Amino acid sequence: MVTEDEIRHVAGLMKIKVDDYSGYVEKVNAMISYFDILDSAGVESEEIPFHEISVSSLREDCHVPFDGSLIEHLKHYRGAYVRAPKMSR
Amino acid sequence: MNLKISALEYAEGVQNGSISAEDFVACTLEQIEKVDEKIHAFLSVYEGAVDKARDIDKRIKSGETVGACCGMPISVKDNICITGEKTTCGSRMLEDYVSPYDATVISRLRDEDAVFVGKTNMDEFAMGLTTEFSAFGPSYNPWDTSLTPGGSSGGSAASVSAFECSASLGSDTGGSVRNPASFCSVVGYKPTYGLISRYGLVSYANSIEQIGPLSRTVKDTAFLLDVIAGSDPLDNTTVDSTGGYLSGIESGIEGKKIGLVSEMTGEGIDSAVASATSSAVSKLEGLGATCEEVSLDMVKYSVASYYTITATEAGSNLARYDNLRYGYDFGVEGYEFNSYIERARSKFGAEVTRRMILGGFVPSAGHAGRYFLKALKVKSKLSREMGHAFEKFDLLLSPTVPVLPFGIGDKIDDPVSLFLVDINTVTANLTGRPAVSVPFAVSGGRPIGMQLMADSMRDAELLQAAFALEQTVRLPEVPI
Repeated sequence: MVTEDEIRHVAGLMKIKVDDYSGYVEKVNAMISYFDILDSAGVESEEIPFHEISVSSLREDCHVPFDGSLIEHLKHYRGAYVRAPKMSR
Repeated sequence: MNLKISALEYAEGVQNGSISAEDFVACTLEQIEKVDEKIHAFLSVYEGAVDKARDIDKRIKSGETVGACCGMPISVKDNICITGEKTTCGSRMLEDYVSPYDATVISRLRDEDAVFVGKTNMDEFAMGLTTEFSAFGPSYNPWDTSLTPGGSSGGSAASVSAFECSASLGSDTGGSVRNPASFCSVVGYKPTYGLISRYGLVSYANSIEQIGPLSRTVKDTAFLLDVIAGSDPLDNTTVDSTGGYLSGIESGIEGKKIGLVSEMTGEGIDSAVASATSSAVSKLEGLGATCEEVSLDMVKYSVASYYTITATEAGSNLARYDNLRYGYDFGVEGYEFNSYIERARSKFGAEVTRRMILGGFVPSAGHAGRYFLKALKVKSKLSREMGHAFEKFDLLLSPTVPVLPFGIGDKIDDPVSLFLVDINTVTANLTGRPAVSVPFAVSGGRPIGMQLMADSMRDAELLQAAFALEQTVRLPEVPI
């Protein structure tokens, strides 16, 4: 079971603020409870595979000219700088 | 003007002069104007498409060679970027976002002279399977507007079904192309992972999602795959395409071995869907294939694995939406950084918020071993089971969705019930295998699609089987 406090905590970590955390408890719990089926999958000894790609196989990090001013696509900028909220409280 | 012709018939008509691209595209836009009030397949419509089609006609008249699409009107799911056009992902968060670049699939279609007629509706950030989670309201099924068209590429499927375009592009993370294709009685294709570039697709769950075409015929899908598939230096997960998807499509399926996946045809399946599946087996056997049941034990856990992995990846992908680089008009003055982001993200819908919370919870310290790591292990074991199955069988068969298309609002408050609608489609995504939904039956006015799956990079063989199955059925016309 996930409590309202846990949902509030995780939402905080994800930088989400909602008006009513209690409204999420039932559905998130239903989802998490369904995931409990994974306990019976019997996959404890299974290895998780991964693919290695050598650095030489990655694309070159090259400059692609852009026909326009990208910064003008932002909502908040001044000159060549992005405008952001202040970092400290 | 007959808008019901296939995309290939359109291209042939334009090439031989019997169809004017301008007239056809103009009629397509008129059809959108006429029916989209009821269907709501589109979030934006490009009136300038007619000018582009007129240019195609002019070039043909002047003797110039035009691309294979010949001005074919194509709709595009609203999570695929087109230069200078809005890409909202069905979200208020990106309501005003205009893409500064083309996705690779768009560039490739543009190079072949496709004409884009608009962007289609979808569940917000592709999280859903009914389009009911679109911030701009749901789409409606052209077969019966009280029904959902499926999702998350519901707008794309509805637009093809309602003759609002010749074909469409969607994205498929757990069945988001095949599910709506099944519900709207069109062909929906999820390629081998890496066969189609994801560059310019707004990411949801990168490790399993793919762009895929939706069309009225299997041949149209093969044609589109020939145009858009293949490696792309802008997406390192892409692989080379063998091509020739259309040219070999009539090869037939005589002698092929087909496995009917027992976990996808058992508990919870609608009786009409079960009956259609038996009929599909008979028809495939009638074409010279042999069919027998195969068990994939991990399918039982696939939906839990899928939602755990996608929630985790979505939680990471959605972290970029801080409203500074992308977003809507909301001033930064007077806010501290974190509170600004929290406030800005209130534009996410309830389903996206739920999945972000899940995406923070399941991989977190103390829970990762129980959920996320086990989900990855199920994915690994399922892939191995599929590998074993393909040592014995050329193809696997199941209904695309175990239930008939359901009403708008019927499942919206029951997330687990909605999860289980995905049970037959997520396996192809988790294992990277190609899969296709072929329109197969209509029961009480509700379409039923059959799903065929093949081993990785066997896309050509898969389309051959899909074409063979398609030829065995004659379905009623969509009542629109």
